[in-house]
Amino acid sequence: MKLSIFKHYTHIAGAKALLIGLGFIIATTIVGYYSNVHFDGALDAHSGKPSSISIHALQHLIAWVSVVLIFSLAGFILSKSRFRFIDIAGTIALARAPMLLVALIGFAPALQNAKPGEINNSIMLVTLIMIFPIIWMITLMYNAFTTSINVKGTKAVIGFIVGLILAEVLSKVLNQQFIL
Amino acid sequence: MLKTNRKLPELCPSCSSTLQVTSLGCSSCETTVSGKFQLPALARLSPEEQEFVVNFVKSSGSLKVMAQHLGLSYPTVRNLLDDIIQKIETNEKS
Repeated sequence: MKLSIFKHYTHIAGAKALLIGLGFIIATTIVGYYSNVHFDGALDAHSGKPSSISIHALQHLIAWVSVVLIFSLAGFILSKSRFRFIDIAGTIALARAPMLLVALIGFAPALQNAKPGEINNSIMLVTLIMIFPIIWMITLMYNAFTTSINVKGTKAVIGFIVGLILAEVLSKVLNQQFIL
Repeated sequence: MLKTNRKLPELCPSCSSTLQVTSLGCSSCETTVSGKFQLPALARLSPEEQEFVVNFVKSSGSLKVMAQHLGLSYPTVRNLLDDIIQKIETNEKS
């Protein structure tokens, strides 16, 4: 089976993607707990102060669930196909796999030794490196979105961008409600 | 009978309009029937799409079985089916 790092949903979706994706989410949450990287938004990753593992887990759960809920809603509005909720939940969970790299980058001394609010060249460089896995995740999310609800072309691009912005807003609202 | 696996042409190579059957012949007695006949809906699909439909029927219409058989994910197989349905509906309107 030929798997691409960007288009593996041609071969993996549904319950299998959900199990693998949840495995990555749990691993990322644990690594993030030790490296103090918080996934406190649909697209967010911040190096911050130490928190309990339950806070890290809840933040990551909110980040995943927000995208799943908004993309499911987008599916009802945009898609003419009969799509399955488990495909959206599974493919989006798997799309978050690159966040494990972000959690690992959080161990970089430049971030670990940084004082609150400090910005220097090393921190800027590490932050820049963190952007690449996030772009990878967004690409995977787009493929998850188009494969799971079967939308193409302009409708897919606009639906994805609007959906992702709404998911980001929803995740921030949920973080405000349950964590802050 | 021809043993070569020739592709049934769907579109006119000159103007790209949909082709029609204008002649049917009996290879046994060489009787020829002429007229204008529409190609059946399935014959207007590409060979790959026709193979998909055959596999779908062989799988008793189960997309899960087809997905396992083809080594593809369920939504990918469902999307292929949706594309074929859309093509058939478009062909029926034209």
